Amino acid sequence: MAAASSLTHPPLGFGLGLRTDHYESILAGPRRVDWFEIISENYMVPGGKPLHFLDRVRAEYPLVMHGVSLSIGSTDPLNRDYLRDLKILAERVQPAWISDHLCWGGVAGKNLHDLLPLPYNRETLEHVAERVQQVQDFLGRRLLLENVSSYLTYKRSEMSEWEFLREVSERADCLILLDVNNIYVSSVNHGFNPIDYLEGIPAARVQQFHLAGHRNLETHIIDTHDEPIVDPVWNLYREAVRRFGPVSTMIERDDNIPPYEELLTELDHARAIAREVLSPDAKAREGRNGCSIAAPSKAGARRGASVAAARLPSE
Amino acid sequence: MDTTLNKLQGDFQRYLLTLDGPMAKEVVSDALDAQTRLGIYADAYRLRLLEALQTDFVALRAVLGDDEFDAMGRAYIDAYPSQHYSIRHFGRNLSRFLAETDPYRATPVLAEIARFEWAMTDAFDAQDATVATVADMAAVAPGAWPSLRFGLHPSLQRIELQWNAPPIWKAVDENTDIPEPQQAEYPIGWMLWRNEFKIYFRSLSVDQAWMLDQLLTGATFSEVCEGLTEWIDAQHVAAHAAGLLKQWLEDGLIATIDY
Ligand SMILES: [Fe+2]
Repeated sequence: MAAASSLTHPPLGFGLGLRTDHYESILAGPRRVDWFEIISENYMVPGGKPLHFLDRVRAEYPLVMHGVSLSIGSTDPLNRDYLRDLKILAERVQPAWISDHLCWGGVAGKNLHDLLPLPYNRETLEHVAERVQQVQDFLGRRLLLENVSSYLTYKRSEMSEWEFLREVSERADCLILLDVNNIYVSSVNHGFNPIDYLEGIPAARVQQFHLAGHRNLETHIIDTHDEPIVDPVWNLYREAVRRFGPVSTMIERDDNIPPYEELLTELDHARAIAREVLSPDAKAREGRNGCSIAAPSKAGARRGASVAAARLPSE
Repeated sequence: MDTTLNKLQGDFQRYLLTLDGPMAKEVVSDALDAQTRLGIYADAYRLRLLEALQTDFVALRAVLGDDEFDAMGRAYIDAYPSQHYSIRHFGRNLSRFLAETDPYRATPVLAEIARFEWAMTDAFDAQDATVATVADMAAVAPGAWPSLRFGLHPSLQRIELQWNAPPIWKAVDENTDIPEPQQAEYPIGWMLWRNEFKIYFRSLSVDQAWMLDQLLTGATFSEVCEGLTEWIDAQHVAAHAAGLLKQWLEDGLIATIDY
């Protein structure tokens, strides 16, 4: 039950990304997750197997729509075809909410199919906030914006990513999808303290968490979503739950996809952390001891690389 | 729109597409230098698109081998950057690219394999439709036959191939020896379609291809029969056409019988 003053929708609990490999297991077994997130573009097709299974899963589970092509920060005009197709899909799915990324994906009519970072300054802020409002007007609902993993910083940036995300969300009156893994990945790649990030985020606007695995290449981390979640990300998740409460949480696994059961076990770990953090005992303990986790410095990441030094498929 | 943000995005995109331009001076160098940081994005850009091509062109990759496919894919990425919001559409121009670009155009079977595999991709997620049945056809009153029209399943893809792309695809799919490229004397009509969630394909004789194309343009049964007399004796033509229709109904290719 959402309070009248609350910006966010009621939490959905613990979910997974809906993946083709798992369709049959999901529909065959008992209900083991609370909800699913779909990649919107995978279902923006005329028909066939994707939409068939989408409808069947939707009949049994709440869904949320997660897009990768909005390109909210691009200086190209908003893609009207994309928005139209997104709205058509939303009418079919009736998602609890719709999200995309705080990024850009191409200019001059080209699509780079990547989530490219934005320079965090006044010009970008005005540009993005204005476009979020246009999208929200078109969709008739608040949008969630997700922080992306990034590998570079622009000289033109004037503020931190969390300051930028907070300002955009407040100006445009949108919600936030906080990707805990992305915060960790970027904190290593850029050498900031992920706790500072969490502290900069307006709690009232946090609608969803993402968790995922990545590849630690020692000099930097690549956000690959093809491995289990590592301990430092679980620790950061613990801190996020402590600050933002029982926020809807899901695991993104996009590659090297394991059996459904394996992801359910990983999701149980998230449930256990949230349960522990949110129990009355935990709150009492926190009151006495406070909490902190080590800021992963570059050197720390190099020493502590617990993930096998992985390579991309080819260089 | 000409702003610093627009300029910055143009420079970044130019770097990703061409590995060239002034972008590096916009990026902070610290533990990793600007060039390395940009390189992470440039690598990821190509790898993501290559992966999309690998998914959609399995047979082409088997024929070319991994390294050659990789080189070909990178050339295609440079020649045909994505213009669609969805990566689903990225491979749409690959067949054209192979037909017009050295050295691939010297091996025309490659473009045809790409065309065949792309037709499968299009059949896979084409619009759904209920299908008409043989019983529906049997229920048609004899007097209604001449003016009947037939709506074909939206997943139907009609292509012409002069090389043996479909047997090559089949060999790759079944993991058997890939046949040598073979050229037919003239282009052969093929149809691909989806029934339930499976993709089917079949070659067409000249009269079958002609009839199917006529149905696609909305010709009536009597118009079809008249044209088929080019190949079929007039007294057998109606039975011949009805026989083909029955087969296509059983295939799940006919969505509607329209009076
Ligand atoms: Fe994410």
